[in-house]
Amino acid sequence: MRRSIYTALTLLASGAMATTAYADGETIAVFTKNQTNPFFQAVRVGADNAAKTLNAKTLHYIPTKPDSIPEQLSQIEDVVVKKPDAIVFTPVDYKAMVPGVEKINGANIPVVNITDRSAGGKFVSFVGADDYSLGLETARFLLKKLGGKGNIVIIEGVKGSLTNVDRVRGFNDALKENPGAKLIASQPGNYQRLQALQVMENLIQSNPQIDGVLAANDAMAMGAIEALDGANVKAQVIGINGTKEAVDAIKSGKLLASGDYNGFLQGCVGTTIAIRTLRKQPVVSEIVLKPTVVTKDNYQPYDSSVESRSCPTWDEALKLGGK
Amino acid sequence: MTDVTKPALASPRAFVSEDVIQVFYRLLAALVICVVLSLLSGSFLHLANILNVLRQASLMFFIASGLTLVVLTAGLDLSVGANVAISACLAGTVIHQTGSPTLGVLTGLVAGGVIGLLNGVMVTALRIPSFIATYGMLWVLNGLTYWYMAGGIVHGFPPGFRQIGSGYLFGLPTPVYLLGAFLAIGTIFAQRTVWGQQIYAIGANPVAARLSGIPVTRRLIMVYVVSGIMAGLASIIFLARLNSAEADIGESLTLPAIAAVLIGGTSLFGGVGTMFGTFVGALILTLVLNGMNLLQVNANWQPLVTGVIVVLAVWLDMKMRRRT
Amino acid sequence: MSDATVALSIRSLGRIPGVAVMLALLLVIFSAVAPGFLSAANIANVLVQSTILMMLSLPMTLIIMTEGLDLSMGAVLTLTSLVVAIVSLATGSMLLGLAAAVLVGAAFGTVNGWLVAVLGIPPFVATLGTLGIAQGLSLIVSDGQSVVGIPRSVSEVYSATLAGVPMPIVLALLCYLVFHGLLYHTRFGTYVFALGGNREALKYAGRSPTRLLIAVYALGGATVGVAGLMMTARMNSGHPTAGLGLEFDAIAAVAVGGTSFERGNGWLPGTVLGVIAVGILRNGLNLMALPSSIQVASVGFLVIFALFVDGLRGRS
Repeated sequence: MRRSIYTALTLLASGAMATTAYADGETIAVFTKNQTNPFFQAVRVGADNAAKTLNAKTLHYIPTKPDSIPEQLSQIEDVVVKKPDAIVFTPVDYKAMVPGVEKINGANIPVVNITDRSAGGKFVSFVGADDYSLGLETARFLLKKLGGKGNIVIIEGVKGSLTNVDRVRGFNDALKENPGAKLIASQPGNYQRLQALQVMENLIQSNPQIDGVLAANDAMAMGAIEALDGANVKAQVIGINGTKEAVDAIKSGKLLASGDYNGFLQGCVGTTIAIRTLRKQPVVSEIVLKPTVVTKDNYQPYDSSVESRSCPTWDEALKLGGK
Repeated sequence: MTDVTKPALASPRAFVSEDVIQVFYRLLAALVICVVLSLLSGSFLHLANILNVLRQASLMFFIASGLTLVVLTAGLDLSVGANVAISACLAGTVIHQTGSPTLGVLTGLVAGGVIGLLNGVMVTALRIPSFIATYGMLWVLNGLTYWYMAGGIVHGFPPGFRQIGSGYLFGLPTPVYLLGAFLAIGTIFAQRTVWGQQIYAIGANPVAARLSGIPVTRRLIMVYVVSGIMAGLASIIFLARLNSAEADIGESLTLPAIAAVLIGGTSLFGGVGTMFGTFVGALILTLVLNGMNLLQVNANWQPLVTGVIVVLAVWLDMKMRRRT
Repeated sequence: MSDATVALSIRSLGRIPGVAVMLALLLVIFSAVAPGFLSAANIANVLVQSTILMMLSLPMTLIIMTEGLDLSMGAVLTLTSLVVAIVSLATGSMLLGLAAAVLVGAAFGTVNGWLVAVLGIPPFVATLGTLGIAQGLSLIVSDGQSVVGIPRSVSEVYSATLAGVPMPIVLALLCYLVFHGLLYHTRFGTYVFALGGNREALKYAGRSPTRLLIAVYALGGATVGVAGLMMTARMNSGHPTAGLGLEFDAIAAVAVGGTSFERGNGWLPGTVLGVIAVGILRNGLNLMALPSSIQVASVGFLVIFALFVDGLRGRS
């Protein structure tokens, strides 16, 4: 979360030590895609939380250019030299990072795959949400609210990213289940708020009657809502990510629902599995988090800031979807 | 490239009329684009769409206007996008913590201005080429913003404040009035004040300008400060429009702003160009993007089309200048 | 070599301390505070990771020396890396992929050169245009998806070694030798210097500045094609956005290395040092596991600092 100006100055003065040192304990290298998406911030907070509870240390590797493939490849090469005890890994691109994972495998460092399922390489385990069911369930919720009919717009994310491909597939399958609902446009917003806003503005011009908007992430959903408000068009909007901002919007009724993608849990559980592997404790080969559609009725657990939450215990984690 | 024999303050009046012709041609181009779009898409001529386009173009113009002054001095400011991002984040936080939109606006403007000042100092006192100085600044600002925002968002602002970005005043989007105001101020400044003329002179021939007594350093610093303040202003509008600020909003803002300046007829070599031209450049870019959206053109084509337009516009500009 | 070139080279030599000092400083600091920095494996890593940027920065040096700029390099790199992936996938041959990439790169370079030399469009604008075209083409030919399943022979280019030296370093070295030879030991090189500071002299020598300028940009494009092969080999796939933005890194490396934007003062070895300095900075900060935001800011500081020092040395 952002800091207040005052604490910012204090922090600046006390130096930027991002990782607190723990007395003894394993080093877990955590790879995330970028510094700007709140989802990955939640992942990092979750990872730090789990490590602290289990007395281990985390090191974060984030590309300086958001989602940069060459940079993540370089970071993997650097990490292989540095040899942390284990790695928790989100590939910047699920296909292009395979050589990187193979390098990690070659160095015999145990690695846990989180968030996006990598197209190759050996992993101890996969922890992620199933983007397809996330898209499907959230879209189903909206369509049910509309009584199964209406004019629907899809705002896609970044073309080619796995999360986008699966979520949009989920949206489309939900639409197929509801023959009364008509897809009038599907345009990319690149997961960006401003872009989704302007795309939505323009779509409203060519399609005055819009009943539902399926946005592939919360930032775009918020952008779409701005556009709809500005044009005085009433439509139901859903997003995905379950961010604090989305929860606030759900509370106020502006956003219908948001599919929970729970980065915090992924960070927690992924790191827990990594540490357990090192300590020769039993783990499972994958934990696919069940989709939760956050709505006006069940938002309470999501209404807190990520930093204030605590990681689930191992048994609780298994119940979330372990196989 | 710098020929001392070229006149320093070469008849400003001549520049003005030549520039007027250039702007006229561009307005014509914009008109042609409008006609084409209205033929291709039934929704283009809707009042709401026109207003949207104006609003979108205004946002681009705020950033591009300060940039125009910098480019007039044969410089470049690559840090404007990052400037908008950090100023928006700072302003947003201030509004949240103090509850005062006025303080927030001041913060945004001051932050933008300070960044501009630093850029200006690097270019003048430290003698670093503007391309590199502002590129370095871009990275530094990004680092600061990432650290400060820590992956978070600042969102949710008072409705009164939000009117600045998303509201309407007598039927026109609020930013359009600001657009008009700054267009007028900018044009008067550039064409009719001594300082403005000096900026053109510095761009046309820095050596001669210095020799004729123009305080080049001070003017250059001023130009970068203005560019920074305009970025700060843009950040406020963005904040009000999007009702939020995040660390990465600046990434996609810089190149389109530069493109708008170039399409508008301002030369990278300095000394040539107008504020109004930049506005028309922003308008043309926005119209094209709007058209592509309305016609549901595959997003893959957008960078290609933008690139071609920039080259075309500059080429046509050069051909015509050579004739006159 | 003509007297003018010798004089320019000597003036360029006066820059040695600048970027070399900075490099030395970085080496010293990081050996002290970054764990594992000085290990052979790590140094090898840094050098290998720098090779693609090196292959962009070397031709960029020549282009900047002609008072030009090539903003399209990153996008063309992305496109050529896709071309390698697609062609080698279709034909099963790495060499065919390479040939296609070099052709595409050279084509873009030629267009750039033509826009600048024949139409007289400022390089910034011309290459901004081709950037958009290359970026658009990358998205179109790949439809936004990675291209995978390419033959082993491609990725082996990145992982192979020649007498214990990783192949990428060998290729980058070859590339450097070619450019160094061209610039300092051929008449072509003299002309490149002249394109920057003294175009009149070219006309008196009966050479066409237009053709030479196009050749410089085309050479740059062809080299980017080779870098495209490296990129695809490294990722074992082609990706529609992988190389974008790298041209700015290349420009920064060239500037840090001492080449001036204003006239034909080019110093190729400086570019090499500049590329390595940037690579070392990133690597060291990675090893120190400093927050990513600090890494981002540091790159900016490095660039500013390098040019500030240069300014102090009284280059105008």
